[in-house]
Formats: sequence, structure tokens, C-alpha cells
Amino acid sequence: MSETLEAKKDCTEARAALEEFLHNELCAEDAADVRAHLETCEECSAEHHVGEMLTAALQGACRDRAPEELRAKLLATLRAARDQHV
Amino acid sequence: MTSDQTDAAKRDDFVEQAMQYADQLYGAAMRMTRNPADAADLVQDTLLKAYSAYGSYKQGTNLRAWLYRIQTNTYINTYRKQQRRPFEAPLDDLEDWQVGDAESFTASSSRSAEAEAIHRMPSGIVKDSLQQVPEDFRMAVYWVDVEGLSYAETAEVMESPVGTVMSRLHRGRKLLRGLLADYAREQGIGLEDTTVKEKKP
Repeated sequence: MSETLEAKKDCTEARAALEEFLHNELCAEDAADVRAHLETCEECSAEHHVGEMLTAALQGACRDRAPEELRAKLLATLRAARDQHV
Repeated sequence: MTSDQTDAAKRDDFVEQAMQYADQLYGAAMRMTRNPADAADLVQDTLLKAYSAYGSYKQGTNLRAWLYRIQTNTYINTYRKQQRRPFEAPLDDLEDWQVGDAESFTASSSRSAEAEAIHRMPSGIVKDSLQQVPEDFRMAVYWVDVEGLSYAETAEVMESPVGTVMSRLHRGRKLLRGLLADYAREQGIGLEDTTVKEKKP
């Protein structure tokens, strides 16, 4: 196989595993392979970075807090349910 | 009696433990119902159901995933019916071309610009965009990316195979990335795109 074809194959494999890599779902061996590829491949590394930014943006945007009023209501409801048991 | 005391202690323990997840349950409820009033009701119904089913909870297993599963079922069985939304066809069978290929709209050279645009995206836009993603995809993204559940835990919550979760997650992220790229282009932030024919003033 020519060098470019070999490189392309590496990229295809890395891309397919990128999401699992991002979410720490790969076994150590596969994760090490992806990591090694990312160190040498600018394109795949940039693609991975987009994935990381997407996760970070979601985490920053979706941290809702239960309103205090709801918390008080939940506590009251659960305590009432508990007291019915006794 | 001692067994009663144990039961009472267990119930107290549940109230305390469940309240620790109030924010997370509310966050998930907001993603599901998309409005604060229904979200609050859903959290309350979820905790009451969980309370009465607490006997079936296996100590030591993931309480958060267990609560999410009850919440998901409660949502499907009550709220989704009440909302009377137009029927949403199951989307798991969509072909990739129907979902759109996120990678195709980004020339490789502009990936760093895309990352930068996402990084600078206002939180409200990210949130609104996620709300536009079809429900099953949206929730897979929420549980994995925001809540940090593993694929296996998410599969448990969604009562679906891990493969289905992975596919929903992939499609959800792809759609979201497309929506954010559209927004960035409209606003003229970050993304240089030669296919844009008109620029907004």
C-alpha cells in the first residue's frame, strides 16, 4: 500500500472511533492508537477539537438549577409521602 | 419495631439522596418538556414514583441512572401524550444523508474556525439549538455529553441497545453541529464559507 493510502486508512479508522474516544468509551489499547494518530494528523486532531468544544459548549449551556420554589415543593411532597407511611 | 425503624431510616435516606439530584433531574426535564412548568411537574412526579418504587432499587447500583429511567418512562407515559405534538416518526432508521453530514460542510482548513465559533457561541443559542434536535437524539446527547453517563448507563436509561444509543448520539451531535454552524454563518462569526452567497448587512 502506498504511504498516502495507508495514511488515509488510519484517518478513516480514527474518525470512526473519535466519538467513542471523546467519551472515554474505548479500551486502553484502542484509545492509545487514536491518541497516537491525533498527534501526527492535523486534520483528525482539528476534528477532535471540534468535538471537544461541542461537549464543552453543551456542558456550559445546560447546567440548569432547580428553582428554589421547586426544591421546597419537592421536599414537602416527599416528606408528606414519607409521613403517610408512618 | 426495628424493621419499621429501618424502613423509616431508608425512606429518610431516599429523600435526602433524591434531593441531591434535583438539579440534574430538572435539567433533564427541561430538555424533555422544553418548558419550566412541565419540567417542574415532571420532576415532582418522577420523585414520587421513585419514592414508591424505592423498594425495587438495588442499593449500590447507580441511583442517578435509575431515577433517569423512571423520569424517562414518566415523561413518555404522561407528558408526551399530553403535549399533543404532531406525531414524530421514529428517527433511528434515517439514513445518514437525511441527517446531513456535519463534516461535509466544513472544509478541513476551517475546522479550527468552527471549533472557535462553537467555543464563542452564546449559551442560549447552544441550548435553543439542542432543543431543536429530535427528542431521542437530544436526550442521548444530554445524558452522555452533559451528564457524563456512559454509553451503557444511557442505554439503560433509554431502555435501548448500546448501538442505538451510539447512533442517536452521533446523529444528535451532527445535527447540533450543523445548527450551530448555520447560526455562526448567519451572524458572520468565525466561519468563513465560500458557499454563502449573500452576506447580511
